[in-house]
Amino acid sequence: MAGKIKQMIDSIINQRAKDNPMLVGVIKSKLMLKGIDPNKFTATSDDDPAIIAKLEAVMKEMK
Amino acid sequence: MYIKTAYSTKGTSDEVIQDLKSQIGAFDTKLLVFFSSPRLAPNIISQKVQNAFPGAQVFGCTTSGEIVSGKMLKNSLVAMAFDATAVNDVKIEVVENPKNENSVRKAFTAFEGHFKSPMAEMDPAKYVGMIFVDGLSGAEEKLIDKIGDLTNVTFIGGSAGDDLKFEATHVFANGKSFSNAAVLAVLKPGVPFTFIKTQSFCDLGKKLVVTKANEENREVIEFNDKPAAQAYAEVLGVDVEEAPNRFMHNPVGLLIDGVPFVRSPQRIKGSSMLFYCGVTEGMELSLLESTDIIDDTRQAVAHAKQDLGSISGIININCILRTLELDQKQLSDDYGKIFSDVPTIGFSSYGEQYIGHINQTATMLVFK
Repeated sequence: MAGKIKQMIDSIINQRAKDNPMLVGVIKSKLMLKGIDPNKFTATSDDDPAIIAKLEAVMKEMK
Repeated sequence: MYIKTAYSTKGTSDEVIQDLKSQIGAFDTKLLVFFSSPRLAPNIISQKVQNAFPGAQVFGCTTSGEIVSGKMLKNSLVAMAFDATAVNDVKIEVVENPKNENSVRKAFTAFEGHFKSPMAEMDPAKYVGMIFVDGLSGAEEKLIDKIGDLTNVTFIGGSAGDDLKFEATHVFANGKSFSNAAVLAVLKPGVPFTFIKTQSFCDLGKKLVVTKANEENREVIEFNDKPAAQAYAEVLGVDVEEAPNRFMHNPVGLLIDGVPFVRSPQRIKGSSMLFYCGVTEGMELSLLESTDIIDDTRQAVAHAKQDLGSISGIININCILRTLELDQKQLSDDYGKIFSDVPTIGFSSYGEQYIGHINQTATMLVFK
């Protein structure tokens, strides 16, 4: 499977930034500080379970 | 004038308090932020500052040196008072045992009750968070990471110091002093505000990818699939034995949009490297080289002034490693003078927080 990480990153950014470009930058920075560089993931990136687990934890906190 | 600063280098805590009260005078203080040298007993000074300003919300922390408009100080207490025009509303919460996963949630529940709004929905243009953490707790990454997950409100602050003794640091909230704790405050300023995050480094274009780490201990075991100390020394072109002498001038940084979030090496342990803040496996770090703190800071303050039109107050959290470098280069006076015309307080910290936990940086909250 591929592309799940990009999907999750996009979902986090959309949910939290709500189209505010300043917030998009801040949320990307927060992800990078967690060790997840949003620019490195595309629709064809492998579904790395360790990264997916980190992103799931972020999504859980946001609820 | 809706923000007032004061400082005292007097001998006893009673003399310091008297000095502070005489400078702040009849000002109607809603919020008082203060930073105190650890030479003043933390539990006593915290209580006395609160007693001196009984109607105010009060928070702060201990230091490794203080900053006030125009000066870098030692063994002093610096304070900034805000009236209700500058800060419409404020809520302070203490997070004890900050490594506990649930401790931030408890504080956030209190903020939500006070401001009658979920923290996730609060407008970061209208609210700002401040954070001061026990500088020896090692809890900063977890705290700021959790805070960042729960809200878009920006939290800015730093880690308390103890004059480089590394024995005990304290945070203050409403008359009490705490260790192994963080103080969080959410402010609703009545005036526009902005942030400065400034660090004086350039990217040398050499990458160090964290391939093995003990994240809990801030330890990098391998960079680029090699023992960390060896890989760091190699990119510098020096022997491993020489590498520690380069730590202050050549830390590493996570580049975000070209701007470094600095991670400072602390020491070599075996073949690993310990850092002053967190490093994560997979993180691509860049080798940095120090540039001109005075010039960069002056520009950052000028830029903030241009943004806001004018500045009525700055809270400056300046990394102790910057302070040591300024001392070493005999530039402390020049640094203080950058803030001569601006009501400023600050302190030398064991770590800085802005979006994440960082090193060798100054984080500043700036009010119009």
